[in-house]
Amino acid sequence: MTVLVYAENPQSSARLTATAAGYLPDEHFNILHTGELSPQTLSLYGRAGASTVIRVSHEIVRNGPAMIAATLASIARETGSKTILLSSSKYGKEIGPRLAEALQGSYATECIHLERTGSGFKVRRLVLGGGFQATLLLTKEPHVIGLQTTAEVAGEDGRTPNVVEQSVGVEAPKVELVEVQRPEASHVDLERADFIVGVGRGFKKKEDLTMVEDLARVLGAEIGCSRPISGDLKWMSEDRHIGLSGKRVRPKTYLALGISGQVQHLVGIRDSKLIIAVNTDPNAPIMSESDYAVVGDIYKIIPLLTEKLRERLGRR
Amino acid sequence: MPDIVVCVKQTVDIYQLKPHPETLEPQFSQAQSKISDFDLNALEEALRIREKHGGGKVIVVSAGPSINQLLIRETLAMGADEAHVISHPSLASADGYVTAKVLSKLIGKAGRWDLILCGEASLDNSDYQTGPRLAEIYKIPHLAYVSKLELSGQSIKAWRTMEDGIHISSCSIPAVVTVGLEINTPRLPSLLMIRAASKKPINEYKLSDLGLVEEDLKPHVQLLELKALKVERLRKKLEGTPEELATTLADIILGEGLVKR
Repeated sequence: MTVLVYAENPQSSARLTATAAGYLPDEHFNILHTGELSPQTLSLYGRAGASTVIRVSHEIVRNGPAMIAATLASIARETGSKTILLSSSKYGKEIGPRLAEALQGSYATECIHLERTGSGFKVRRLVLGGGFQATLLLTKEPHVIGLQTTAEVAGEDGRTPNVVEQSVGVEAPKVELVEVQRPEASHVDLERADFIVGVGRGFKKKEDLTMVEDLARVLGAEIGCSRPISGDLKWMSEDRHIGLSGKRVRPKTYLALGISGQVQHLVGIRDSKLIIAVNTDPNAPIMSESDYAVVGDIYKIIPLLTEKLRERLGRR
Repeated sequence: MPDIVVCVKQTVDIYQLKPHPETLEPQFSQAQSKISDFDLNALEEALRIREKHGGGKVIVVSAGPSINQLLIRETLAMGADEAHVISHPSLASADGYVTAKVLSKLIGKAGRWDLILCGEASLDNSDYQTGPRLAEIYKIPHLAYVSKLELSGQSIKAWRTMEDGIHISSCSIPAVVTVGLEINTPRLPSLLMIRAASKKPINEYKLSDLGLVEEDLKPHVQLLELKALKVERLRKKLEGTPEELATTLADIILGEGLVKR
């Protein structure tokens, strides 16, 4: 069986392919690539498990997700692909429903498990605020699936995929991207961090986060936050938002500071190996979702903790 | 003066939802239903556009297994002019495909419109499907994850919250816009508005009124199982003076916390 793969950039496409190959070891993966294709990228695709790369003009990306959906629909029809895999990023979730509607197929996104059965694709995803897991059967072909990427691309040992040049003559309603306002903070890759310190509404003002920065520096940790901190208050950039509509993280340790633990946040930290929470309220939801629930004042504990760690780690 | 359709979904209040201790299935009967959070943001934005641009209709559409009239009244009390709804038991198993199809038929009953506003995702399924599917059905542009919206003449400009920052995008209308909770704070209707809402029309339809048959409500995605996720945690409560707690925390972090040394 052939699976058509598309994600927002080559790294994401490769990781998506590698993740899917883990679930579907016997299938062929065709990656849709836009624009120039460097030997490095081709090798990356090969190591991820792709057998073919379909290259189209980068022009289609500039016209927005509707154009990508139309392009994928056209290629799926031409190549007879009955399965199309997308990332479950925000961009992927703009493309998926349009594509499924255009192809009149079945669709699910944010899938955390994938299995081909005789009656369709069985997938699992979190619903009802993340506290529940739904097992779904995608019956109608073609199957459009947004998958959470978890795998990394192997370091070596890949064959070089075939490259097929394709021209696409489709039309789609146009959206013009006027400007991208990137946050001032440097890019943060929370999904790959081993230690994350999460901050929530327990902090009274933005300036107070300096004590968290000090702590994170000593720990070599990344800083994440709950939705109010990045959304309403804008104390942190959106790429640090952990939760249902933000990042899903899987660190070895998650230290939740002043986070009450709304279900939308909990879904984002569920895969953490160890969860430690500090909160003044012993009944805050986060406390029963933690390995260690420290009942106390973050304003008193954080500076003391930072100092102790600094002494014991011999760090400045 | 744009006419605006707002799609609202009646969902279970997930914050009240508890799993059954043995089967781990959600106990829906013990939780109340409400209008999905982001849909109220969509309605609020439609009302603000109407106020700013002097007129135009705000039309609410909703489809579900059993739509509660009182919840629809709430949207009218907030300021919507009219509502078009369908209740049908088969909609309990609707997927994104069925939902968009039925909503598009309701929208067909609503008359002319310039914009469709939806919440970016629903509280219960969090599928992110309805808006973009409607856009594909009408072959019109879609602006997603909108945290600020401006309308001028025949075009709209939106500030969209993406992973890498704010994307400012524009397109012509008609269009579909899906919004998150950052865009506004939905108003609470006054007693006067609640009273006025009792005179506003709620049009209820049967399947046949919409030119649909039972077969059209057959989803492409079936729910096989729904269970609470159980992650076992130690749940060890630690109390003491800040000094003691900081010491214990440092022990835990350096012991189990796997700090890179």
